[in-house]
Amino acid sequence: MVGKMRSMLGLRLAVLLVAAVVGLVAIALLAFNVSRDLRQLSSASSDNIQWTLSQTEVEFLHFRLALAQVQTNEVPDIRSLRRKFDVFYSRIRTLGQASIYHELRQVEEFARHLAAVGDYLDRAVPIIDSDITAFQAALPALRAETTAIRPSVRRLSVSGLNFFAEDSDFRRNALSNTLKQLAWAIAVLVAALVVLVCYLAVLNAQNVRRRTQAIEASERMNIVTGTSLDAVIVADTWGRILDFNAAAEQIFGHSADAAIGQDLGKLIVPEQYRAAHEAGMARLRERGEKRVVGSGRFKLEALRANGDVFPVELAIQSADTKDGEIFIAFLRDISSQVQAEAELVLARDRAMAGEKAKTDFLATMSHEIRTPLNGLLGNLSLLEDTPLSDKQARYVRNMKISGKLLKNHVSDVLDITKFDAGKLLLHPADMNVSTLLQDIVDSQSGAAEGHGTSLDWAWEGAPVHWIHADRDRLQHILMNIVGNAVKFTKNGSIRITAKADPGPDDTMNLRISVRDNGIGIAAELLPRIFDDFTTGDTSYDRDVGGTGLGLGIAQRFIKALGGSISVDSNPGAGSVFHIDLPVQPIAEPIADRHAQSSGHGARKAHVLLVEDNEINRVVAREMLMAQGHSVTEAHNGREAVDLAEDTAFDIILMDISMPVMDGRSAARAIRAGTGASSQAPIIAVTANAMASEQEAFMADGMNGVLTKPLTRDGLLQLVADHVPASPQEDAPESPRSQYLYDLAEAVGSEALQTLLNRFTTELDAFLENLDAGQNPVAAETAVEAHRIAGSAATFGLAEVREALVGLEQAAQEQDVAAAKAAIRSLREIWASGKPMLSLT
Amino acid sequence: MLRRALQTIAISMLAMLPLAAASQADPAGEVLLTVTGPMAGQAEAEAVQFDLEMLQELGTVEFETSTIWTQGVQTFEGVPLSALVESLGMSGTTLRATAINDYAVDIPISDAVEDGPIIAYKLNGEEMSVRDKGPLWIVYPYDSKKEYQSEVVYSRSIWQLDRIEVIE
Repeated sequence: MVGKMRSMLGLRLAVLLVAAVVGLVAIALLAFNVSRDLRQLSSASSDNIQWTLSQTEVEFLHFRLALAQVQTNEVPDIRSLRRKFDVFYSRIRTLGQASIYHELRQVEEFARHLAAVGDYLDRAVPIIDSDITAFQAALPALRAETTAIRPSVRRLSVSGLNFFAEDSDFRRNALSNTLKQLAWAIAVLVAALVVLVCYLAVLNAQNVRRRTQAIEASERMNIVTGTSLDAVIVADTWGRILDFNAAAEQIFGHSADAAIGQDLGKLIVPEQYRAAHEAGMARLRERGEKRVVGSGRFKLEALRANGDVFPVELAIQSADTKDGEIFIAFLRDISSQVQAEAELVLARDRAMAGEKAKTDFLATMSHEIRTPLNGLLGNLSLLEDTPLSDKQARYVRNMKISGKLLKNHVSDVLDITKFDAGKLLLHPADMNVSTLLQDIVDSQSGAAEGHGTSLDWAWEGAPVHWIHADRDRLQHILMNIVGNAVKFTKNGSIRITAKADPGPDDTMNLRISVRDNGIGIAAELLPRIFDDFTTGDTSYDRDVGGTGLGLGIAQRFIKALGGSISVDSNPGAGSVFHIDLPVQPIAEPIADRHAQSSGHGARKAHVLLVEDNEINRVVAREMLMAQGHSVTEAHNGREAVDLAEDTAFDIILMDISMPVMDGRSAARAIRAGTGASSQAPIIAVTANAMASEQEAFMADGMNGVLTKPLTRDGLLQLVADHVPASPQEDAPESPRSQYLYDLAEAVGSEALQTLLNRFTTELDAFLENLDAGQNPVAAETAVEAHRIAGSAATFGLAEVREALVGLEQAAQEQDVAAAKAAIRSLREIWASGKPMLSLT
Repeated sequence: MLRRALQTIAISMLAMLPLAAASQADPAGEVLLTVTGPMAGQAEAEAVQFDLEMLQELGTVEFETSTIWTQGVQTFEGVPLSALVESLGMSGTTLRATAINDYAVDIPISDAVEDGPIIAYKLNGEEMSVRDKGPLWIVYPYDSKKEYQSEVVYSRSIWQLDRIEVIE
C-alpha cells in the first residue's frame, strides 16, 4: 500500500522531471538559435552593405565627374582621375571577390551588371594607365563608355539593396519566429513549473500532515503503552529488549533504562525455561518458525528482579519495521488470579464433598430410620390381627397412621436426596391414565367426604387412556397435589380434569388440572409454593400439618418426567394446579388379565425368607403365613444358598445387608448353581433403595426389589406377581372378563357372538372326540389343542388357553397322565366358563 | 603554424622597437601615411609622415586570416597599430583613420594591442595597389578572436588608408 503510493509518487515526479528536462532542452535549443541569429546579425558577415553599395555609385560618379573635368581643363589632373578610378575599381573588385557578397552574386541581375561593369573596367584600365597623349586620344571613347555603363552601376547598387532588404526581412522574420517559439517554450515551461510547484506544495502539505499524524500516533502509542496495566516489552529477533513500559518496570522490578538493550531471556525468563526460550528464538531466527507469536494468549511463568517466579498470561505479536522484525509481548501478572482460582477450586471441592456427605448422610439415615420403622409397622399389623378391645384397636390404628406418616416423610426426604444427587431413575411402563385417576379419586374420596367436599374426575375432550410413563412417580405427584387440595378444602368441591393435546412428533401433551374452591394460596406465598419446606400460614394449616416437601417433590418428579407444573390461586376462592407432561400414547396392550385380577389370591407358595433382623423376619413371616404361604427362614446368605440347593422354592425374599454372606453374593451363588431353586424368582428386600443399586441387583440375577418397610399389601402383591397361580388350587375365575366386553365394543356384539358360538362348537367337538377315544397324546391332539388355544387367547379366556397349552405340551411329550389331567382341568373350566360366553 | 609565425614575428618586432622609437626622420619615398594630433615630443599641428620604409622600421608582423572582403585565407604583412601608437607616444583615446576616398572611421586606441590590428601593406607577399585596397589597410586578425568578427570591427577595417588623426 505504502510502496504503491511511493512508486506512484515517484512515477509522477519522474514524468514532471522529464517534462521539465524536455522544456529546458527546448529552451536551450531555442536560446541557441536566438543567440546564433543575434550573432549573425551582430557579426556578421554583413559589413555595412547598403553603404558599400551606395558608395559604389558615389565612387563611380566621382570618377565620372573627374572624367568630365578632364575635358574642360586644358591640363588634366590625371593623377586625381587615376586615384578615383582605382577607388572605384577597388570597390567593384570587392563586390566581385568578397565572401559576404557571395549570395548577392548569385542574384542573376546583380551578376550580370557586375560582369558588365567588370568588362567596362577591364577596357578602361589600359586607357587610364596609358600616357597622357594616348589617354587624351581615348578620352572621348572612355567618356562614352562610362556614360553607357552608368545604368549598370545604378542597377548594381539597386539590385544589391533589394536583395539585402529582402535578406534582412527574412532574417528578422526568422529571428522573430525563433523568439516567438522561445516565448512559447518559456511559457510552457513556466506553466509546467507552476504545476510542479503546486504538486510539490500538495505533496509537502501531505507529508507534513502525515508526519504530524505519525508523531501523534506515536505519542498516543507511547501514552497507551505507558499507561497500560499490562507489561509491554518489545524485543528484536535476537531477544534484545527495545522497549520496556512503566507497567513492565513495576511488574518485573527492572527500570526501563536498565532493561533496554538487555537479553530478554536472561532478564525475565526463569532459569528452567531459559534453554527452551533460547531454542525458540534460534528457531525463529533460522527458520522463521513462530510457535507462540500471534497464537493468542497463553500462560507461562516469569522471573522478577528479586528472583521470584510468578505466573503470567501473555500474548506476543510481531511487526516488520525497517530495522527488521520486532516482537511485542503483552504480559499480565496473574499471581492473584491464579491464587483466587485455586481457592475457588478448593472451595468448590469442599462444597461438593459437603454435598456428597449430606447425600450419604441422608441415604444412610433413611435406611437407619426405616429399618426400625419397618419393625414397628409390621408389629402393628400383626397386633391388629390379634383379639383387641375397641380402645386398643383405636390406639393401634392411630399408631399405624402416625407410623405411615413418618414413613412417608422419610420417603420424601429420600426422594429429594435422590433427585438432587441426580440418581432418580424413571421406570416408564405401559399404564392407563383413567385407571390411575380413578384410583387416586378412590383413595382420597374418604378424606374428602370427611371434609364435606366432593371429589371427581373427567376427561376434557377425547380420552387417551393408555400411555407409556412412570406410573409410580405420576401417582406420587397427583397424590401430593390432590392430597393438598383435600387438605385445604372444606365443604367445597375438587375436580380433576385430564386433557390430551397433540405434541411434537408422535407425542401428546397431557394436562392434568386439579381445581378446588378451598382457602386458596396467599399471593406472597405463590412464588415459593414449590420450594422445599414451604408450608401455608399456620393459622390455616394448624390442623393439616406437613413437612412442606410435598410440592417440592412433585415439582422434582415432574421435571424428571420432562414436564412442568404451574399454579394459579385466589385466596378464599380456591386454587388450580396444572401439570403438563409430554407422554407417549400407546395402543391398549393385550393384558394378562389373570395376573392382574388374581389379586392376593395367588396359590399358596413356598417362600424362602432371608433376613438377619429377627423382628423384620418375624413380621414378614407372619404376614406371609397369614395368607396361607409356607415360609422357610434363613438368617444369612450362606444359609439361603444351602437351602436353595436342596429345596425348590416358589420365591426367595432376600435381604441385602447381612452378616456371613450378603444378599447380592447369595443371589449370584444361587443363580450360578444348578440347585432346586436356581431358577426361582429372587426379590431384593432393602431400605437403601437407590436406583443405581437396584440396577446392580438386577445384574446379580434378582427379579425385583421390595422397599422396606414391608407392607402387607406390597409383600403379598409381590408374591402373587412372581408365583404363577395354579388353576387346580384356585377357584376358577369367571372367564368372561372385561376384555370380552371391550371386544364386543370393537367388533360389534352380533359378530362377536357368532365367533363365540363357533369357538364353543369347536371346543365341544374337541372334547367329544377325546371322550370317544381319541388318543390324548396323538400329534393330532396337540395340533388341535394349539389351534383352539389361539382362539381362546383371542377371546381373553386365559384359563381355557392355559389348560389347552398344558394338553398340547403333554401330548408332544407323550405324557399320558399329564394329558389326561389337562383334559380333566379343561372340562372343569369349560363347564363353568361356557355359559358366560353368551353375551345376551 | 600560424601561432609559430606570429611568435617569430613578435620577437623580431620587439627587437626592433628601440630603433623604431628613435628614428623620426622625414620620408624619403612616397608618403603613404600622415599622422596628426597630440603626440609626445611633437608640436600640436605638426604632422608625422611615413613612407613604406619608415613604417617597416616600426617593426613588422605577418599573420594569416580570412576576411569577409576576400575569398580564402590571406597572408597579411604590416605594422602593428600598437607599434605606431607607442612609437609616436600618442596620448589621445581615439584614432580617426581616413581613406583616400575620405571614408573615415574612429578606432579606439585601446584596439591597438599586441596580436591586434596591423597596418598592412602587403597581401600575400605583394604590396597592395589602390585597386587592391592598398597601399595601406588596417586588418584585424579576424580568425584569431571572435570579437574581431563584429560589424564594428569590420567597419574599422579601413582600406586605402592615408591619414590618421589622434583625437583627445
